[in-house]
Amino acid sequence: MSRKTLALLLVILFFVQSSGFAQDARLTDIIVTNTQDELLVYLSVEGAFKEKMKKAILSGVLTRFSFFVSLYQVRTLWFDKKITDVMVTNTVKYDNLKEEFTIKRSWEKNGPRVLRSFDEAKKLITEIDGLEIVSLEQLEKNQRYQLRAKAELSKVTLPYYLHYVLFFVSLWDFETDWYTIDFTY
Amino acid sequence: MSNNRYKKLASYISKEERNRRKREVIISVVIIAVIALLTFAENRIMHFGAGIPVSNTILMFILININLLLLILLIFLVFRNLVKLLYDRKRKVMGAKLRTKLVVAFITLSLLPTIVLFFFSINFITTSIEFWFNVPVEQALENSLRVGRSLYWHAEETSSFFMERMSYQIEAKKLLDPKNKKALFRYIQIVQREFNLNAVEIYTANADRLTFALAPGLEDKPFAVISSDDLKKNIPLNSVRTVSERISSGELIRTIGTIPFGVAPPAAEAFVALANLMPPDLAENMASISRGYEEYQQIKLLKKPIQITYYITLSIVALLVVFCAVWFGFYLAKTITIPIRELAEGTRKVAEGDLSFSIEMVADDEIGSLVNSFNKMTKDLRIGRDQLELSARLLRDQNVEIEKRRQYMEIVLKNVSAGVITLDAGGFISTMNKSAEKMLNLKSEDIIKKSYKKILSGEMLDLAEEVMEQLKTSRNDAVRLPLKLAIDGRPMSFLMHINALKDDMGQHMGIVMVFDDLTELEKAQRMAAWREVARRIAHEVKNPLTPISLSAQRLKRKYSDQINQPVFDECTQTITDHVELIRNLVDEFSLFARFPTANPKPCNLPPIIEETLALYKEGHKKINFNFNITEDIPRLNLDRQQIKQAMINLVDNAIGSIRNEGNILIILTHDPILKIVRLEVADDGVGISDIDKTRLFEPYFSTKKAGMGLGLTIVSSIITDHNGMIRVQDNKPKGAKFVIDLPV
Repeated sequence: MSRKTLALLLVILFFVQSSGFAQDARLTDIIVTNTQDELLVYLSVEGAFKEKMKKAILSGVLTRFSFFVSLYQVRTLWFDKKITDVMVTNTVKYDNLKEEFTIKRSWEKNGPRVLRSFDEAKKLITEIDGLEIVSLEQLEKNQRYQLRAKAELSKVTLPYYLHYVLFFVSLWDFETDWYTIDFTY
Repeated sequence: MSNNRYKKLASYISKEERNRRKREVIISVVIIAVIALLTFAENRIMHFGAGIPVSNTILMFILININLLLLILLIFLVFRNLVKLLYDRKRKVMGAKLRTKLVVAFITLSLLPTIVLFFFSINFITTSIEFWFNVPVEQALENSLRVGRSLYWHAEETSSFFMERMSYQIEAKKLLDPKNKKALFRYIQIVQREFNLNAVEIYTANADRLTFALAPGLEDKPFAVISSDDLKKNIPLNSVRTVSERISSGELIRTIGTIPFGVAPPAAEAFVALANLMPPDLAENMASISRGYEEYQQIKLLKKPIQITYYITLSIVALLVVFCAVWFGFYLAKTITIPIRELAEGTRKVAEGDLSFSIEMVADDEIGSLVNSFNKMTKDLRIGRDQLELSARLLRDQNVEIEKRRQYMEIVLKNVSAGVITLDAGGFISTMNKSAEKMLNLKSEDIIKKSYKKILSGEMLDLAEEVMEQLKTSRNDAVRLPLKLAIDGRPMSFLMHINALKDDMGQHMGIVMVFDDLTELEKAQRMAAWREVARRIAHEVKNPLTPISLSAQRLKRKYSDQINQPVFDECTQTITDHVELIRNLVDEFSLFARFPTANPKPCNLPPIIEETLALYKEGHKKINFNFNITEDIPRLNLDRQQIKQAMINLVDNAIGSIRNEGNILIILTHDPILKIVRLEVADDGVGISDIDKTRLFEPYFSTKKAGMGLGLTIVSSIITDHNGMIRVQDNKPKGAKFVIDLPV
């Protein structure tokens, strides 16, 4: 009796947790293409920006988007072989005094960009444009490959170590599912 | 060796111990699984900031896990107890109702303050938070920020204004021409000094720095070039763009514009940048204003979550308190109800007779002392019962012993030839043995528990009272007296020993009467005495008779003729006759005294009887003689002559008792069980009185005028010699009956 009750309680806990805080963020416009030497990926996150998040960014919270991109070679009778695993981040920080957004994209060689428009800043941090993930030399011709991608916003640092206190509250965190694209090189 | 010992030890572990260990292992596994599950759950729920060290994260996990585990354990305990309580109530287990009451009372008692405190706290927190955010801090911060912003804006505006003039001059004077490079440098130096700018820079359209002029404070430090991105991309039309940079001596605010002023960057011939250096403390203040505003905004953003967090925390604490209270209620109820239940159970068991039951000591409070008292009570009861059982066993043994003795005494009493009758203190007959029954021809059940005063009457009662009196006065509580009685018409002679019974305290307990049947003994003694008398009389009297008779005859012969008087003859004749009479008498005595001992031989009895009857039938026509005989009369050892003599005497006696006419009935029967042949001679004559019966068989006792009274004495003597028995009874309706038992 009591074991069943315990199990039921845990199940309810999980259910509440997963349903209550889930956001319908998703990856769109995933494009895999290539230059002469490199395999490139384009993608963007949609549905990530809620009003709350905008408020948080405008109140100066450093916000970081992480993108996980992995490339697998598909094998029929065995586990897929991982070719590469890339993690890149886009961060945005708003300066209230100068009313500027400073955007850092870890995969871009240039320094941080400073923008005054929120929409532009939003576009920049939710997009990955032409991320080089692997050199074409590493791929074999006529083989099937699978690209898996996921985005998450997790690294929100609150002032005064409030995240210690507010560990129940997940304000802006989201995590998309893994998106996959199959292609043959 | 040690291994063996270990095995031995292991085998000693009891089943209970093994079960306990098994349970512990299961509990450990469950706890580990729960920890893993919780960790997984927490990992999913929470994402710790990157800034928190790993050790802190682990510590947090551990703390949260422990808390959760404890909470779950508490919830589990409470729910388990609740379910158990409900189940117990349903089953009507002893103590469940009291437990329910206690738990409900505890929950109510703890819920009330908890709820009050909970809602008060919630209200307090809400109000506090609202109050904090209501304070006009935000406005102040916003104003400060606005001031800061306007500072930057003002610097930009000023620079823009200067830039517009400079662009015009540079363009008008064609200072961008490479030939006028020196003039350009002079111009910007003048501008720098005149407008009190910290730096003035000129970049080509390709973003190469053409020339620059620095204020004296910046000259000795490296002065960085503006990136081509900043120059080319981000300058709005008809406006300028400001970039700021932190350097050691403050914040350098560079306003970038195009030449000609306001064109798009690709159309620009060159770029001009004017720099203002903000002093470090001002820059720092500005930054802190910005930081303060941002933090305030962020906290404002967290207002709701903080509230929720507080609510959750409060709720958890409240729940914790409630659960703790419930659990404590259960615990307290248990400490009270379990001993009570055990006491009830114990009482029930004690009532059922199980006195070995004892309750374990639970506490050192009043309930503990109650339990103690109960245990002491059961122990005392147990000891008492054991002692009682022991005494009962002893008593039983004693009873058996007494019963054995009683039976022995009874058997002894039954088998003694003397009759024994006991009376209790009230004079009620309590026992009577077989011999007494036989002698007195009574049934014990008829007289037992009856008072002698009711049983006896007349003379006998008087005698009894007299004996009682004697007993009271006698010194040794004993009275001895001979007693002659006629039992069913049979004369009996007893020697009575009457003893008063007294216990150790001298208390009167009753009377025991022991009596011996002396009838036969007396008879024999009398007979012997009479024989002796007869022998002496015969001897002493017979001798002088002959000389008397001869003398009388001689007197008659010699003087008859001389004294011719009839009286003389008459007298002598009388002497002779009476001497003859005396001689006959003496002969009869002599015969009795010298009666030969019987010489028995097997012969048939009925012919002897018939012969005897034949002698009398002729002479007594008025008497009706009847002789009844059964067919199975065996041959007996008899002295034919003596038996005939006895029969003659009996019949003679019977005829004598009949005055004129009557009946004489002779019955001969055989009793194979008693092995006797019974001869009854009954007449319907005058009968014999009870007093006469006792002396009937004594010599010289006769109711007749003639005769010596030796007839029945002789009969008795003959029958005794034949090992038989003769007794006289009243014949119904009248007359007497002689009964002779002869052994077969």
